Amino acid sequence: MQPLERLVNLVALLLDSRRPLTFEEIRERMPGAYEQADLDTAKRMFERDKDILRDIGIPVDVVATDVWDAEQGYTISKDEYYLPEITFTSEEISALFVAARTGGQDTSAEEAVRKLLYGAEGGLLAGSTGVPMSPDGGPTDARLTAAAEAIAERRRIHFAYRTARGETSERHVDAYGLVFRGGHWYLVGMDRDRGDLRAFRVSRLASDLEDHGDGGSPPHGFRAADHVQPGPWPPGEHGDRARVALSPDVAWIARRSVEGVETLTTRDDGWVEIALPAGEPAWIASWVLSYGPDAEVLEPPALRAEVLRRLEATIAGA
Amino acid sequence: MPEAARGTPKASERLRRLLVMVPYLVQHPGTELAEVTRLFGVGEDALLDDLNLLFVSGLPPYGPGDLIDVDIQDGRVWVRMADYFSRPLRLSRTEALALYLRGTAAAAIPGLSEATALTSALRKLEEGLGPTTLLGRLPQVVEAAEGARPAETLEALREAAAAHERVRIEYHAASSAETTSRKIDPEEVFFAVGNWYVVAWDQRSGEERLFRADRIRTVSPTGERFDPRGLAGAGRPLYTPSERDVPVRLLLHPGARWVAEYYEVGSALERDDGDLEIVLPASRLEWVERLLLRLGGEAEALDPPVLKDRVRELARRTAERYRMG
Repeated sequence: MQPLERLVNLVALLLDSRRPLTFEEIRERMPGAYEQADLDTAKRMFERDKDILRDIGIPVDVVATDVWDAEQGYTISKDEYYLPEITFTSEEISALFVAARTGGQDTSAEEAVRKLLYGAEGGLLAGSTGVPMSPDGGPTDARLTAAAEAIAERRRIHFAYRTARGETSERHVDAYGLVFRGGHWYLVGMDRDRGDLRAFRVSRLASDLEDHGDGGSPPHGFRAADHVQPGPWPPGEHGDRARVALSPDVAWIARRSVEGVETLTTRDDGWVEIALPAGEPAWIASWVLSYGPDAEVLEPPALRAEVLRRLEATIAGA
Repeated sequence: MPEAARGTPKASERLRRLLVMVPYLVQHPGTELAEVTRLFGVGEDALLDDLNLLFVSGLPPYGPGDLIDVDIQDGRVWVRMADYFSRPLRLSRTEALALYLRGTAAAAIPGLSEATALTSALRKLEEGLGPTTLLGRLPQVVEAAEGARPAETLEALREAAAAHERVRIEYHAASSAETTSRKIDPEEVFFAVGNWYVVAWDQRSGEERLFRADRIRTVSPTGERFDPRGLAGAGRPLYTPSERDVPVRLLLHPGARWVAEYYEVGSALERDDGDLEIVLPASRLEWVERLLLRLGGEAEALDPPVLKDRVRELARRTAERYRMG
């Protein structure tokens, strides 16, 4: 008998049986499966099969079949085996497939969707082209999942982390939340050594996560996203508004690149005047300068002076 | 793994697949084999091997009425007599988490047409799998925060790519800081590290090019069609080095550190004084000049030597606007 046939029959037998079966019963009911003359050899083969079933997530339990605990029976709990009934529309299943195929080599997410397929309508992927996506890079899948588990269980974790400066150090963190921003996942939590809330980019974890016991609870009103700021900071939402003129060449793209932009007017020379939340002056100055002579701060005067100061510093030094 | 079990990973892989595939086949009688191979990512030969094996499996005493009934006709398949396999094995914790996390990230992508369906699917998943079983309090502590607005041209690009239609685009190339008009054959639209891209054959240069969708201002039809060349899409490197590349060497002070994160950096050297020396591959210097302009005193141009003068010249031209007014 082929190993696969034996395994399928074993799962079928245990799923179909209303009571736990002893090895002797299984051996007797599955002729050709565990028929070695030597009982120990046969039992070892059965044990290996049982381990394979457990490895792929099948809940095989061992229970006593008599009051003296002399005999052991094997059983699969139906409640634990079967996927709970969840009905998805075909659009939802297609969307899950699209999402599952984003990211790296790890196929766990796709396997998950395949399990969810059974209750959906047929012809699912016929019209779906899907959205191809590139991974975040690096072998982060397993670490991301481990971080999610730590957060779900409020664990304290220990790991090595490489900062943007390229320095690697050891961290002890109470894991509070996960945030996806700018194409990257960040783990947010209380850095025990620094006594402060910090965000860690998952792709820069330099080791696996090690469990260090129970972690604390996040402070009241904690929002993980508040602690993640990737790249050049966007302007703040509060404060005065700045007025900026943009050349026709870059106006459309510059307007699109920040939140809260209001178009004021298009001048006769084609330049477009916009207003945007002034927020952090250093950031606005940097944003305006990234368009070179195609952008000019009109107001407030202090910001205008700051841009000119930076330009003069560049002319003097560069 | 014990010595003797080494020969079995293949059997366990096939078992895993069968326990997922069979419930689908029981619920969907007469599914086309081609559909099954596509849905479950399995080759037709492997699928037929699995189905042939299923055919001789079942329950004791393994008489005709006890075996799983597999019927293959005209490229379609029916599976009966397998009630115990009519529902799949539940999701492992790893599978549930992987799907939930990828789904959450994907749902936040600006301009993803599947986002609404995805969000409701994730909610059903949270409810269906239950707070106590798999996900715990995870849904409350995972969030995606993509700020940027979707490119308005995204849908037009996707449609053109799907229908193999040549289009004319107005494109702002960050590398040269110029907006140009060109005809392209868009082959695939994909999302990578925070942005949408379209990989296309560029009629203007006669070369394969990668365009960032948010820098495409307009898309208009040409009425022409094209034969796809099979250009590499998702998963490709976002920057393709070429012979025209000039190695640009910059010194980043702490305030400009983010540059090493934000751009694809060829190499980075940590200096004792806390500065970071990086090499950026660049085919044009225009974008590097503007980058240095925005960094102000936080970065220095080291190589090529001409870069320093060009940044200074750009600063002079920009400063004129402020001195006039």
